[in-house]
Amino acid sequence: MPVLLRRFIHLVVVLFCVTLFVALLTSMLPGDPVNSIAGFAPEEQKEQIREQLGLDDPIPVQYGRWLSDFVTGDLGSYWTVTGDRPVVDRVKDALPVSIQLMVYAQVLALVVAIPLGVATAYRAGSRFDRGSNFTAFGLLALPNFALALILAYYVGVQLGWLPVTGYVAPSEDFVEHLRRMAMPAIALAVGQIAVYMRLLRSDMIATLQEDFITMAKSKGVSPRRVLWRHALRPSSLTLLTVAGLNVGTLIGSAVVIEVIFSLPGLGSLLYESITSRQYIAFQSLVAIIAVGYVMLNFLVDVLYAVLDPRIRHARA
Amino acid sequence: MEGPFVASTAMRGRWIRGAAAAVALALVVTACGGGGDDGGDSGSADADAGEVTPGGKVVYGLEAETADGWCLPEAQLAISGIQVARTIYDTLTRPNADGEYEPWLASAVEPNEDFTQWTITVRDGVTFHDGTPLDATVVKNNLDAYRGAYPGRSPQLFIFTFSNIASVDVVDPMTVMVTTKVPWTAFDAYLYGSGRVGMMAQAQLDDPVNCADNLIGTGPFVFDEWVPNQRFVATKNPDYWATDAEGRQLPYLDEIEYRPIVEVAQRVNALDSGDINAMHTSDPLTISDLQAQDESGEISLTESIDFGEVTYLMLNSSKPPFDNIKARQALAFAFNFDDYNAIRGKGILTRATGPFAPGNVGNLDETDLPGFDLEEAQRLVEEYEQETGQPLSFSYTTTQAESTVADAQFWQQAAEDAGMEVEIITVDQSTQIDAALAGDFEAIAWRNHPGGDPDEQYNWWQTGSPVNFGRFDDPDISRLLDEGRSNPDDDARVGIYEDLNRRFGEEVYNIWNYYTIWSVATAPDVHGVLGEGPTSADPFPGLAVGIPPAYLWVEQ
Amino acid sequence: MPERDLDVAEMPSLTPVSTMEPVDLVRADGGVPLTGKKARQGKLGVIGWLSISWLALVTLAAILAPILPIDDPNQVTASIARQPPGTDGHIFGGDGLGRDLFSRIIWGGRSSLLIGTLSVLLGLVLGGLLGLVAGYFRGRADGVLTGGFDVLLSFPQLILALTLVTVFASGEGVTATRRTVVLILALGVVSIPVLGRITRANTLTWTQREFVLAARALGAKQREIMFREVLPNVLPAMFSIALLGVAVVIVAEGGLSLLGVGTQLPRPSWGNIIAEGRSELRDSPHIVIIPTIIIFLTVFALNYLGDVVRARFDVRESAL
Repeated sequence: MPVLLRRFIHLVVVLFCVTLFVALLTSMLPGDPVNSIAGFAPEEQKEQIREQLGLDDPIPVQYGRWLSDFVTGDLGSYWTVTGDRPVVDRVKDALPVSIQLMVYAQVLALVVAIPLGVATAYRAGSRFDRGSNFTAFGLLALPNFALALILAYYVGVQLGWLPVTGYVAPSEDFVEHLRRMAMPAIALAVGQIAVYMRLLRSDMIATLQEDFITMAKSKGVSPRRVLWRHALRPSSLTLLTVAGLNVGTLIGSAVVIEVIFSLPGLGSLLYESITSRQYIAFQSLVAIIAVGYVMLNFLVDVLYAVLDPRIRHARA
Repeated sequence: MEGPFVASTAMRGRWIRGAAAAVALALVVTACGGGGDDGGDSGSADADAGEVTPGGKVVYGLEAETADGWCLPEAQLAISGIQVARTIYDTLTRPNADGEYEPWLASAVEPNEDFTQWTITVRDGVTFHDGTPLDATVVKNNLDAYRGAYPGRSPQLFIFTFSNIASVDVVDPMTVMVTTKVPWTAFDAYLYGSGRVGMMAQAQLDDPVNCADNLIGTGPFVFDEWVPNQRFVATKNPDYWATDAEGRQLPYLDEIEYRPIVEVAQRVNALDSGDINAMHTSDPLTISDLQAQDESGEISLTESIDFGEVTYLMLNSSKPPFDNIKARQALAFAFNFDDYNAIRGKGILTRATGPFAPGNVGNLDETDLPGFDLEEAQRLVEEYEQETGQPLSFSYTTTQAESTVADAQFWQQAAEDAGMEVEIITVDQSTQIDAALAGDFEAIAWRNHPGGDPDEQYNWWQTGSPVNFGRFDDPDISRLLDEGRSNPDDDARVGIYEDLNRRFGEEVYNIWNYYTIWSVATAPDVHGVLGEGPTSADPFPGLAVGIPPAYLWVEQ
Repeated sequence: MPERDLDVAEMPSLTPVSTMEPVDLVRADGGVPLTGKKARQGKLGVIGWLSISWLALVTLAAILAPILPIDDPNQVTASIARQPPGTDGHIFGGDGLGRDLFSRIIWGGRSSLLIGTLSVLLGLVLGGLLGLVAGYFRGRADGVLTGGFDVLLSFPQLILALTLVTVFASGEGVTATRRTVVLILALGVVSIPVLGRITRANTLTWTQREFVLAARALGAKQREIMFREVLPNVLPAMFSIALLGVAVVIVAEGGLSLLGVGTQLPRPSWGNIIAEGRSELRDSPHIVIIPTIIIFLTVFALNYLGDVVRARFDVRESAL
């Protein structure tokens, strides 16, 4: 299908540009990059690093080297005075944590937003609708890191309902795992709820005005069936696509949330690499996040193209 | 087999240190920093804790991760690293309640007449966690590794610390003899090395790649796993050689886990919510909060400035601006300790006039360290600028924890009020230590010089030492250090170190701030924080180099 | 991002949704769903006027900060450290270091609003220009520009901003001013593709209108048409997004502050006041809560007004 092919070429181009940018990050550091990377190393070690990284090589060579390392899983090392520690080991542990956080946040947001979106669409114009919309709007205006801090303090410490720091793997203790992910997921989800609710609402309102709905109603189908069975599915396409894409966008907020709640995910790794000036690790982490995000967008794109008949027929 | 309570041969002439320590304890008991209640007699909190119940687990929140691991001869351990090291390893000596050093992993440590030869008798029947026996050979290899005479290990700091060792020889399978270049009266203190000089198994010593995370010691706990920045877990050593004063097998706990939580507020939150059941901190604001919680019984708090260290601003005297004494003095005059104490310490801090905390040899109530005088500061700044033609500007390096960043801003504001320009640079703790080592700083927030024998400070201040981070070259201080090292007369030594203290005050190589209050806060059912001494139940009362984890216990 | 065939009616684009999506508010005038006819009038209503007043107040305070009779925001006064609002005549009390919180919030507004407006302005000018060109000329120019937008959009926004600030302004020797400049540039770069896409989308719609074709037929130059006929019609949509953008940037700066790369202390911004104050939540929650409320009100006002503008000028991008 030419549309898919187009998208694929697009993907390759984007991946190339993104990885090129990231590959050159360390050479963009002001001054001598090696000083930023390994400031306190003895001069011989700095020379070694300079050679290893090949920061003086021409750009295509640098890119080629970085790319071949990246795709073979060599993400560089955390440089320390006593030796190197490979980045990929830390990433293996951190990745599931971040993925879990974002999935929970999304699920939570959808679970709250969908019924609300349906209800407000159905009762469009009512006080309930207006109230919900206003609240949603308000929630959007609340910076989610401030919400996270306040939640952590009042719910976590004052009330003591939920733990505020740390992570427990689901395989170790699932209940404890959920308890620790609860507040971070809530803090992330709150902003999304408003957006999703609004999206669904406006699509539903449009759908509810269509002929096939009127027909179903005239056939005597109960309002609830009309809403959930007939109207929801076509209206949810945009919502689901956006939700899918948003998992990637959440990464930005997730970094801050992870730091606040001490969750050992990619975001915390990223933060740590900045504060300890481990620029090689930083570079690799950004690469992983960016590439992952691009791939995810691509998948959602393809899904959208496959599912939405309007686009499928656009090329006809 | 000798138990740890065989009476050790008395160390000579240490009565004065004993007296000083007694004074220190008295000071702590009667007037803990002035700002409110006496936050915890060192050991009395546990006196009525009841009978020890073995088993259970402690999760201990640390203030930093030790990114470089525990290849002990090469590691640069701060207190968090030392705490972990004391879990897996034992040192040959350990301080007692009076701050004197008694044999611990060794069964005897004896100097000769003129302190040029020290004979270490290795304790019988001790095995490392990998089953290999502790003997004179492995002890010799460890000591050689520390002093840079062992192939495959390249220490940077200890090589200077132990540079006074001429040779280490195996006399018989359980006896090692150390010969020093100059008489070294406090060598037994160095075998403790603030808890850093643990004995590693041969396998770890010889590990070319993984020495830093292949921890094998003789200590109360066996290394289980280390996930950097998340947790360090160790399990009970069932064959541990030490028992407590009543003959009970140590350690009491089944498992201990360390969690690095850099932000102290998060650490306290974790303690309050039960995520962890022990933590340490030296942040005065937090300690003052913890005091309140201790009173209401929510937690148990143990605090100490005994044999304590000093929090100060270390200045780099080898390059501008602080190679000029006027700049150093100006900054000291600009610093308003009373305001600092009120804002950052809630009034509980005691001004440090020098590097020796109360109770330590060399402590003085007053020195010439400049106090707050803004006009004088401004005047000196102007003089500096006229002399050198440069504005007085410098960078202030600190860790990125919130409390230290707040301190940085306080200093910055103070300096700017006096007419200086300040840039704040924040780094993580490992990088901060690296910065100090490399001399890549102008002013750096620091904390050091826990007590014990003042000769232990030798390397921090001796000209040319790689850990003389401030890089000052003071002939008086160098001379005094050498004298103190080899002089066996305790009275004379007090005089020597007091002179040293005064010299610091005159030259302002460091701007001493306050005597650090270290505290360990635990859940109410956790006891044994201070533990016991090497040969008696009375513990060493200081917290500045961590606690002996073998004695921790949890009510079951 | 999917390249759409240009002769099909503009589909909801799959630009990843962040809070830069224009959020529908039900009624800007009080009573009728936004999809109705009345909503298109985009009247302000009470809330609208309150929003404008708030923004005016905050902006004025920010601009006039140096001459207002308030304390030096960096001046340390031991007695007010951590004290609640009202202590000793300090309206908002003191922060953790004994600095006047009210003054810091006003000066913080100066930083936050400066960063917000300048970065969005950068995005508007560059993004708007590029979007205009892409939408007007289409063809290969469009392809390249949209591709560029897509590449930039392939980074989660905060991550890209974080990356740029880390690489260019987090080492040593970075002054507060330099950090602020880099923040503005980084957040501006991040807003370029969003504004670019929206401008492009709007331009596409407008260039198909009759008056443009007429102008072409009359022999007017491309550039004239672009700037005289199309741009004025595209501006309202851009303006609406710009308002939302400022809100997003203010919050983003807060997030970056928590990660240690926001406005450099001791220079305050609303974000870094919150970041600094989080250790005092136990006893002095006002240090976090007051700037949070301030940000909340500002973001709310900006979102609301952005929505009103959008409703007024009937931009049909409901799911941008």
